[in-house]
Amino acid sequence: MPDAQGVRVSNVELTIDGLEVSVPEGTTVFDAARSNGVPIPTLCHQQNETPVGVCRVCVVDVGGRVLAASCVRLAEHKMVVSTNSAKVRRVRRTLVEMLMADHPSPCARQRQSNDCELETLAQLEGIREARFPRRISARGQDDSSLVIAVDHEACILCDRCIRGCDEIRQNDVLGRRGKGFTAGIAFDSDLPMGSSSCVSCGECMVSCPTGALTNRGVIKTVLPGEAVDVAELQQLSYFQKVSGTFLQLNRNAVVRRHYRQGEIVCREGEYGSTAFYITAGQAEVFLATPMAHVNSDSRSGGFLGRLSSRLLGRQQEHRAEEGRRDTIPIDAPVDLPYDRPVATLGPGDLFGEMTCMSLYPRSATVRAATDCVMFEMLRNVLDIIQRNKTLQAQLDASYRRRALDDHLRSVPIFATLSQDFVDLLRNRVELVRYTKGEVICSQGDIADSFYLVRLGFVKVSEPHPGGDLVLAYLGRGGYFGEIGLLGGGIRTATCTALDHVELVRIHAEEFHQMVQEFPAVRESLEALVRERQEQNRQRLETATSTPLDTFLTQGLMEAQSLLVMDLERCTRCDACVRACADAHDGVTRLIREGQRFDKYLVATSCRHCRDPLCMVGCPVGSIRRRNSLEVIIENWCIGCGLCAKNCPYGNINMHPFTVLENDPMNAGRAMASVKHKATSCDLCTELAEPSCVYACPHDAAHRVEPNEFFRWVGMPPAAPARRN
Amino acid sequence: MDRTHRPWVIATAALAIISTAAYVLYAVNTPGGPRGGSAMGLTFGMAGYALMLYAGLLGARKQVPTWRIGRAQTWMRGHLWLGLLNLLLILLHSGFAFRGPLTLALMLLLFSVTGSGILGAAIQHYVPGFMTSRVPLETIYEEIPHVRVQLRDEADELAAAISQNALVEMEHDDRERFREVYLNKVRPYLEDPEAPDAELADPLRSEETFGALRRLLSPPVYGALDDLENICEEERQLSRQIRIYRWLHAWLLVHVPLSIALLVLGAIHAVMALRY
Repeated sequence: MPDAQGVRVSNVELTIDGLEVSVPEGTTVFDAARSNGVPIPTLCHQQNETPVGVCRVCVVDVGGRVLAASCVRLAEHKMVVSTNSAKVRRVRRTLVEMLMADHPSPCARQRQSNDCELETLAQLEGIREARFPRRISARGQDDSSLVIAVDHEACILCDRCIRGCDEIRQNDVLGRRGKGFTAGIAFDSDLPMGSSSCVSCGECMVSCPTGALTNRGVIKTVLPGEAVDVAELQQLSYFQKVSGTFLQLNRNAVVRRHYRQGEIVCREGEYGSTAFYITAGQAEVFLATPMAHVNSDSRSGGFLGRLSSRLLGRQQEHRAEEGRRDTIPIDAPVDLPYDRPVATLGPGDLFGEMTCMSLYPRSATVRAATDCVMFEMLRNVLDIIQRNKTLQAQLDASYRRRALDDHLRSVPIFATLSQDFVDLLRNRVELVRYTKGEVICSQGDIADSFYLVRLGFVKVSEPHPGGDLVLAYLGRGGYFGEIGLLGGGIRTATCTALDHVELVRIHAEEFHQMVQEFPAVRESLEALVRERQEQNRQRLETATSTPLDTFLTQGLMEAQSLLVMDLERCTRCDACVRACADAHDGVTRLIREGQRFDKYLVATSCRHCRDPLCMVGCPVGSIRRRNSLEVIIENWCIGCGLCAKNCPYGNINMHPFTVLENDPMNAGRAMASVKHKATSCDLCTELAEPSCVYACPHDAAHRVEPNEFFRWVGMPPAAPARRN
Repeated sequence: MDRTHRPWVIATAALAIISTAAYVLYAVNTPGGPRGGSAMGLTFGMAGYALMLYAGLLGARKQVPTWRIGRAQTWMRGHLWLGLLNLLLILLHSGFAFRGPLTLALMLLLFSVTGSGILGAAIQHYVPGFMTSRVPLETIYEEIPHVRVQLRDEADELAAAISQNALVEMEHDDRERFREVYLNKVRPYLEDPEAPDAELADPLRSEETFGALRRLLSPPVYGALDDLENICEEERQLSRQIRIYRWLHAWLLVHVPLSIALLVLGAIHAVMALRY
């Protein structure tokens, strides 16, 4: 009989459960039985994978000394096979019992779709209670992937996932780890699945017979919009390389949205969990919040003595160390010009990545400039797209072509680069990605690159006894690595990705060429290096000369003015808090809680924390440290409130303002809307005396110069005993 | 009382001496003795009522904390010292005699208001220091219910970690014993720390309970037990804060209504006395 290639093969005759059958030579007993209608149960074997015979559930009696695994045992001429004898059934039952002893029943798959192959088999065998003891040491779960939940407890080590990954998809991510009792499946060199090179194709998940690898519950989220057929999605270049299996399993995670001209797609400051990909039409991306900061003045004071809070732009009031950026970073492939923060996005553009991947608030408002069609997707889909190497290359090429130029020039020190040099960089820079918690470079490493933050947040810290000192949080437009490159060639700090981070990496060679060719860039960078080194030196001095447990309080020493309450006089009447609220349009900037120094309480005002958590996640990068370490909130704050939420001490408040904006329903008409701006306690610097002090009837509240105060108090700052 | 009170003390003492001297002269030279309806009596009465009104305005001043009409501290000093002077002036006005039911009621009210005010001043002078030393983990009074919910949640998490062997493998019996102590003693206390029969409200009983648990359990869970014990201590401090806070402010429940009654009845008395 000729086979598929036309090679002539001979047949073998054998008997299976009394049935005489003839199969081509080389056929396994399992296939011979199945092709002749004799079912043999199995767990580790799948038709599209090489049989390995590890579960032994498919054992049959071929008349030998021991039972044989039918999936790997080749059929032989005149072989007599028994698939269902009492001996076979007993052995098979014991094997299933042993597997069930280790299996968390019901497993995730059994709970989700009631089709765990092992539990189904156990039910067929009538196994209710396992006779064997469970394993003592837990193997654990891995929730690091956005797409697939890994439950090592439910893994029966059948290797179907490994063969699916290696043989079928040829991704070579999955393998085995450990031996004997500690054996399990592993991603790359035993990394968490989310940090591995897994492209989330889903093959392992569909191969798995149990609940060890299951689809995560993201698909329970129902997105409003039109459902899209998988085949149709795969026609689009953006989704072309995404596994159909995955898209089928997550068909609710991508929807088509139609927007009419003028319709709002998303608003700045809103929380969301999706990204948008434009397929037709154009969208306008802009900031609706006024480009201004909160100014409190007492011009309306006099007898009533209230502070008036107003919004002032750069032109009306220039604050010391206010950012001089010309562009505002947003969660889209473009930055917005400061003077007119509007840009246009078109087909092929993706926006909302940061919101989708890291759940940050929307950084800008997007409105359909024409009738638009967009695909809205959840982060499991975006994650898989970003892991796809071909697509990544396409996106990177698009970034190099369209945005790198603007991105580089948005950084003031690079504003003088010539077009020729930017063109040179365009092809030489590397676009690199890091997952949450990944260390980008460590203190002491060789400095081989300069980095520009394209997406996400990077923590720059120095290790010290007792904990890291955070030097900065860098968002889009931030950069690092220049100190090492211009200094001794060694990294002076450790940089870590706080979330999904994308960086532009300029190698040392190009960096040195850049600073040689453009003296202005070199001078700016050298000035910046000196400034940063001086700041770091001062911080280090403080950190080493002060006990670490009191170091946190040093922010107070650096302050210009502190609000201190004498707790032996304070009757806790809260007149100060009411006065503060009364003075600031009903928004209190004071909380009568804080650090205690003997009988004194330093009430709430910015502490310039060692780890300024308020700065993490600002979608437009509008909150930062001044050189004096105080916090400054830039004019382009969109009022999302994330900094206020992040501040553990409640030192940042959201101040509402009524502003006029264009009415989308009535062209040419204005409508009033409430916008928020972040503010922190300004100690009523505009007034001769802060309202809280003025309103204290018990002479308990005082505004003091910190150094003088602590000298006068004559004691080292010490916090009250708190729980660990 | 610090140096900032000195000008007020001097002014009040001077006014008291002058008023008393004037009264003595007036009483000695008036046949039939001093009377409230006389010119001098009326002067004392009006001055006294004016001071009452001023003292009463402190409450109104607190409602407009940002108005630049003098620091609240100045108003408070005035309230204290001029309120005290007011008692003297009214006594001089009455000639130390309470002739009718209304005036008798007024005098009783005046003594009550002044007495409760002195008591309040004393409480507000001494109790904040007591609160500071006895409640190092003091929080904002209005936040106490939220803090308690957080403490309860934290305790539940710790207890779950201990009883589910997340920290260390424990014998079944030990685990059950811990669960029993947590569910029967710790949790009910955290649920209702003000309950009169709460065993853990007593620091000594609490120490005994956690000491017994430490003897029962192995060292790896001591950290979690310490945290649980500290949570109970924080609860006790919050209960203490509530009690002290009530002491700090409860006297106002007497002082303020009586002051209002005094002002109203004083006005009625003035109208009636002048008209009839």
